[in-house]
Amino acid sequence: MRTPRLASRRLLLGAALLLPAMPARAQMDTGRAAAFIQATGEELVRVLNSAAPVDQRRAQVAAILRRAVDVEGTGRFILGRWWRQASPAEQAEYLRLFEEVLIRNLASRFGEYQGVTFALGRAQARTEDDALVTTVVQRPGSAAFNLDWRVADVNGQPRIVDLVAEGASLRLTQRSEYSAVIQRGGNQVAALLAAMRQQIAQLSR
Amino acid sequence: MRLPALLLAAVLSLSVTACATRPPATDREAVEEFEANNDPIEPFNRAMFAVNGAIDTVALRPAAVAYRAVVPPPLRTGIRNALGNLRAPTILLNDILQGAPERAARTAARFVINSTLGIGGLVDVAEWQFGLPGHAEDFGQTLAVWGVGEGPYLFLPVFGPSNPRDLVGTAVDAVASPWFWFGQGEVVEALRWARFGLTILDAREGVLDTLDEINRTSLDPYSTLRAGYRQRRAAEIANRGAGTPEAAFGTGIGVGPGNRAPGDPLPR
Repeated sequence: MRTPRLASRRLLLGAALLLPAMPARAQMDTGRAAAFIQATGEELVRVLNSAAPVDQRRAQVAAILRRAVDVEGTGRFILGRWWRQASPAEQAEYLRLFEEVLIRNLASRFGEYQGVTFALGRAQARTEDDALVTTVVQRPGSAAFNLDWRVADVNGQPRIVDLVAEGASLRLTQRSEYSAVIQRGGNQVAALLAAMRQQIAQLSR
Repeated sequence: MRLPALLLAAVLSLSVTACATRPPATDREAVEEFEANNDPIEPFNRAMFAVNGAIDTVALRPAAVAYRAVVPPPLRTGIRNALGNLRAPTILLNDILQGAPERAARTAARFVINSTLGIGGLVDVAEWQFGLPGHAEDFGQTLAVWGVGEGPYLFLPVFGPSNPRDLVGTAVDAVASPWFWFGQGEVVEALRWARFGLTILDAREGVLDTLDEINRTSLDPYSTLRAGYRQRRAAEIANRGAGTPEAAFGTGIGVGPGNRAPGDPLPR
């Protein structure tokens, strides 16, 4: 009778130790999440459709994304089990590169997003913490597609933590991609950082 | 349809010698990831991915680019509609097998309306005038609804991302289609080849932008496609999402089951 008790006590202790490491998250109200996506989406569409020079638009998009996306939380989620293996310096560089790749990838597609519009679907709570806000994105000359935004409460503010395009989660797909790069680079986070640096160099050309 | 069987045999014989190393049981997170990827024959799949890349670079992609450049958009839409209409009996059968009478009725109505008013399926009158949008189904999805597991992930040249269950589904769909049985003679043969060629062009053109995007932005396109395909496939099986099909008949980056390209994990 002693062993299970001991085991459960150890489990409790383990959970208690883990708790402070988790970011403070409250439940996300779906109405609030929908309003947040509506406002952020309108802001993004306005920049994407503006006639301003590319550099200026990129700076504007970067500002919106930094405000609206939980860059650190999402970046950590995507690095997954490799986060703990990375040194503090690697973690810091990874987060910096992750943010830059995010912004530059979107910026490199400004041309394709000319004339983009979006319509809000109904918001629905998906898990205990997150709300999933559904939208339909329409671009001239191509078929409309479903884009869902996962919104979480991060320190009292709504923040985007994932995009789901036609059923495929961007953060799950990217976690698989990054983990493959690390494993094929001899289980070294440095291999991923090198690949990301090279990608940014290519995108900024 | 001897090709899928031949490929399957090749896969089975080669895969025995090309297994991915399973991480040690002590590394729980690595084992979890290994199982979530569902790709025990990854070295073989990556080799096939490279073969496919070569074929795609010299033949499939240039053909799709030319198709887009030469054929005006309204005609391409018409061809996609007509190819989709030819798949309607297959979709209907799978709707029925999945116990979805309402979806089956919609598929049947669409087939009747589009084959007649829609000039042999060239115009999607059913959606345009009757508010009856189409959907995709295939026997791989039906098997999934019946509880059959997907089996290990497979990547095949030209065919694209798949698995044993979806391969079987493709073969069953091909044989169960009325067009497999009706008609004979040179004209019918020529029409069959025309349909086959157009299906490949339409499918590849449908995923042109998405695959270009993946190849441009992904640090490892192989795993991006794998993750995207499996998530999209799960969404299709659950009949989630209602996007317009990107190809009349396509799976991932090649030809195969389904009315849309499942290997499309990114917004375009």
